[in-house]
Amino acid sequence: MIATPDLIESLVADAQPVKRLRPPLARAAAWLLFAGVIVGLLAASHGLRPDLGVRLSQGSFVTGIAASALTGILAAVASFLLSLPDRSRLWLLLPAPALAVWVSTIGYGCLTSWIEIGADGIRLGDAVDCFATLVLISAPLSLAILVMLRYTALLEPVRVAVTGGLAVSAIAATALSLFHSLDATIMVLMWNLGIAALFVGSAGVLGRKMFSWVAPR
Amino acid sequence: MTSKNSHDRVPGLSVVSGNGHSDAEAQSDPAGARRASHGLDWTIFMARAQGGDRDAYRRLLDSVTPYLRSLAARSFYGRADIEDAVQDVLLTVHAIRHTYDPDRPFGPWVTAIANRRIVDCMRRHGRTRGRETSLEAEHETFAAPETNLQERASDGRVLREAVAELSPGQRDAIRLLKLEGLSLKEAAAASGMSVAALKVATHRALKSLRKKLGILEKGT
Repeated sequence: MIATPDLIESLVADAQPVKRLRPPLARAAAWLLFAGVIVGLLAASHGLRPDLGVRLSQGSFVTGIAASALTGILAAVASFLLSLPDRSRLWLLLPAPALAVWVSTIGYGCLTSWIEIGADGIRLGDAVDCFATLVLISAPLSLAILVMLRYTALLEPVRVAVTGGLAVSAIAATALSLFHSLDATIMVLMWNLGIAALFVGSAGVLGRKMFSWVAPR
Repeated sequence: MTSKNSHDRVPGLSVVSGNGHSDAEAQSDPAGARRASHGLDWTIFMARAQGGDRDAYRRLLDSVTPYLRSLAARSFYGRADIEDAVQDVLLTVHAIRHTYDPDRPFGPWVTAIANRRIVDCMRRHGRTRGRETSLEAEHETFAAPETNLQERASDGRVLREAVAELSPGQRDAIRLLKLEGLSLKEAAAASGMSVAALKVATHRALKSLRKKLGILEKGT
């Protein structure tokens, strides 16, 4: 083992000027802007759902979409705040109220979809289309938040990955409810939180090696 | 780069008390004042270090290391384990030093990093200890039972007494050839005995020592 004074000397020798991170709120806003651009591009190429005007007059739909969008925004803010070492871990609870409202509307949405669609209603085509859109939205957003929060992989991977995964899920679910008639929230949540769990689980198993490509030590 | 230049590169640097003590409190409590000024120094040093001021960075790391050591010493007993944890914290501080915001106190920032790294180190130690056994002096032995009877294996007093009981010729032969490690020629010159006589004396001496020490000769 190298002696601590020697280590300090080598760290000092390596002390190049660094560019400070912008405030967490500004970074969260930048990520949300990026998310907005992705969703906007998809809306332009894919088109909005035909019955959007009708659905927007329904209270439960508006509540659900507002709650999921708010969950996405608050989870992103929480994720960027939690990524800094000296911020309170209680920021984890920031998206909880919006998440609770969103989850309560998921249950309602599933129930109404089930009744509307009926036993032979769901075709494979819809689900595959849904899934493709979901991946198109989630993949760039996940990658962006992973790169932006890479340094926290050293300190607080679980909380940051959970809030980051939740932010991506909520944004993706909000976008999907604008594009698709089929309520895909459960699929979105399973996919994105599954990805987050995969990342956290692999980080636990493989340790820091896994993040070494984005977070040099 | 000079420290003046680097200080100019620190926009919006504000004076922040390291531990939330007010000035009045700090003045009435000398230890608190020391801590507060320490925290303030750390904040300024770190802000300069982010601008590339190596001198400030060295002073920061030098002055923060004893504090990190005291944090690590709460969780580890071994000196090597403590230094391991301290170095881990220093490496992490170096890797993410750009995430520090000079508007906020340095103390809580480095303490949060230290606590998390120390917990990581403890987990790593726990895993290592579960799989490894440290090699102690008493493990350095052989399978034969005699080697584990240390008082017999290394009882030089018994051997010295046995040598002292030999006849003078045999004692000289053993001393010169076996204990001092001379060659037959050198031993012959030193003792005045012939080489053949030395050989015979050595052979008899060893036979008699074996008998005295209770070691059975092969085939007997």
